[in-house]
Amino acid sequence: MSAYLLNLAELGTIFALLSLSLNVLIGYGGIFSVAHAVFFGVGAYAGAQIALHLAPDVLLAALGGGLAAGVLSFALALPALRVRGEYFVVASLGLQMVATTVFTEAQGITGGYGGLVGIPPPSLFGLDISSPRLFLSVCIAILLAVMAGVHALMRGSFGRSLMAVRDSESAAEAFGKIVPILKTLAVVLGCIIAGAAGGLFALQMSFVNVESFTLDQSVLIMAMVIIGGVGTLLGPLLGTALLLLLPAALSFLPGIPPTELGAVQQGIYGLAMTLLMIFRPGGIAGRAEGRR
Amino acid sequence: MLVLQLLASGLQTGALYALTAAGFALIFGATRLFHFAHGATYALAGYAFVLADHAGLPWPIGCLIALAVAVAFGLFTDIAIYRPIQRHSASFFTVFVAAFGVVIFIQSALEITFGRSFIAVSSALTHASQILPGLYLAQVFWVAIAVTVLVFGALGWFLSRSNSGIALRALAENTELLRAYGLSARRFSALAFALGSALVVPGAVLGAATTGLSPVVASHVMLVSLAASVVGGIGSLRGAAFGGFLLGIAENLVVAVLDTQWSEAAGFVVLFAFILLRPSGLFGTAVAR
Repeated sequence: MSAYLLNLAELGTIFALLSLSLNVLIGYGGIFSVAHAVFFGVGAYAGAQIALHLAPDVLLAALGGGLAAGVLSFALALPALRVRGEYFVVASLGLQMVATTVFTEAQGITGGYGGLVGIPPPSLFGLDISSPRLFLSVCIAILLAVMAGVHALMRGSFGRSLMAVRDSESAAEAFGKIVPILKTLAVVLGCIIAGAAGGLFALQMSFVNVESFTLDQSVLIMAMVIIGGVGTLLGPLLGTALLLLLPAALSFLPGIPPTELGAVQQGIYGLAMTLLMIFRPGGIAGRAEGRR
Repeated sequence: MLVLQLLASGLQTGALYALTAAGFALIFGATRLFHFAHGATYALAGYAFVLADHAGLPWPIGCLIALAVAVAFGLFTDIAIYRPIQRHSASFFTVFVAAFGVVIFIQSALEITFGRSFIAVSSALTHASQILPGLYLAQVFWVAIAVTVLVFGALGWFLSRSNSGIALRALAENTELLRAYGLSARRFSALAFALGSALVVPGAVLGAATTGLSPVVASHVMLVSLAASVVGGIGSLRGAAFGGFLLGIAENLVVAVLDTQWSEAAGFVVLFAFILLRPSGLFGTAVAR
């Protein structure tokens, strides 16, 4: 039981990192990406390859994953600079669909449907941290560091300029903000954090395959941010906790066959997204009367 | 001959995409709402038709049931979801998330009720026969093309000749002016939803008879109609129809050079290129950034 809880806590920390990173795009940048699982996946594959061929070092995997995702994030920054709103959502949907196919087909790097197996247990600077408690502590430390970093950035000049762009692009431009650079930085920052989360995910699971990086996953991450509350520091964490505990809670409920659990869970968060948008668009942690 | 065969099936797929995308474009044009739940309408209409068929009802009744389900669901999303949201927020994102939630909910509801596998209606129309050496066509091909031409003809007539159709186009161009003439913008946006949702029925019925339906079809159709309308130019009916054909043909033709796994991705590569290079689409006006 405690092993199960530790495992859940590790996953929770990784997904908290992930929803935090998407919040940089959606909440602060106003860039509504539905392709976040792509960068999570790129980071996970990079982290897995580093662990398999170099060393299973946690920081190395996180940095490598972040770097790979950061480089690729220009594929998302480009449409973000060209178009806004619904057009960008459609572009990111397209990116997600193409990436899923590439993940499945590029078997040399990703292992296709079979995935990458046998990722060695994690270490840190040569020390073995494969015990769940140690690994969890490292993940929590990384999460706290990233949270502090994002918080500081968003309170500072960069964050305020970014939010100005989100609220009115032309007004921000009139105040001399360089909109393209701000948007690109937001996308790159969010994707680097997602990639780092991917690197940790690879070491945590010791197995990665394409099923973790599909449109469904992107939607789940988006649901975490939205249900928790966009543009807040704690909202994404709250959303992550709720949506990760949901399957666990459902499995204790009688009357739901285990094969239907996934569908029931999806149905619930689909419904939650719709109802929240009607009654409380700011999310649970957001302001009650807030717009976005 | 392979290319010809692929072109033919591309035309057939494209015809159904074109109708569905035209429904999406009609709704967007009149109401400026990005109706993501359009794919859910398609799935519900298709499943309604399959259920009616399995219950032993003749196919015209099945089509009528599918039509009723599609129109009812379209109106429901307009009245129960979009309108309450628009009362407090005009943000595109709020509407998008709510509609996306609806798609996810309907998809999982269908999955729980009918299972994840494909279900289909068997029909004599789908038996293929050889037309030219190496070119096999089923009657359903001609049905799809004929229905598409007929529906587009009727739609074109409705939008350019009838009073309600002209009012719909006026709603797209200038809501205030429409109100000034004493017409109710709300009533005409409901009409747009009913009509746009009705346009999924041919695609859903023929889709059930050819490739079959699975719950995932809700999000697939959502993506396709989005992609087709962006490629064609958002809000333009002609563009959406053209985009639908283009995507259907691209999806099928790519099989001639690459594996079938790439066929869906091919459509989205086209889409991505359009957004980067020509976001206003083929027939659209310039997009405000």
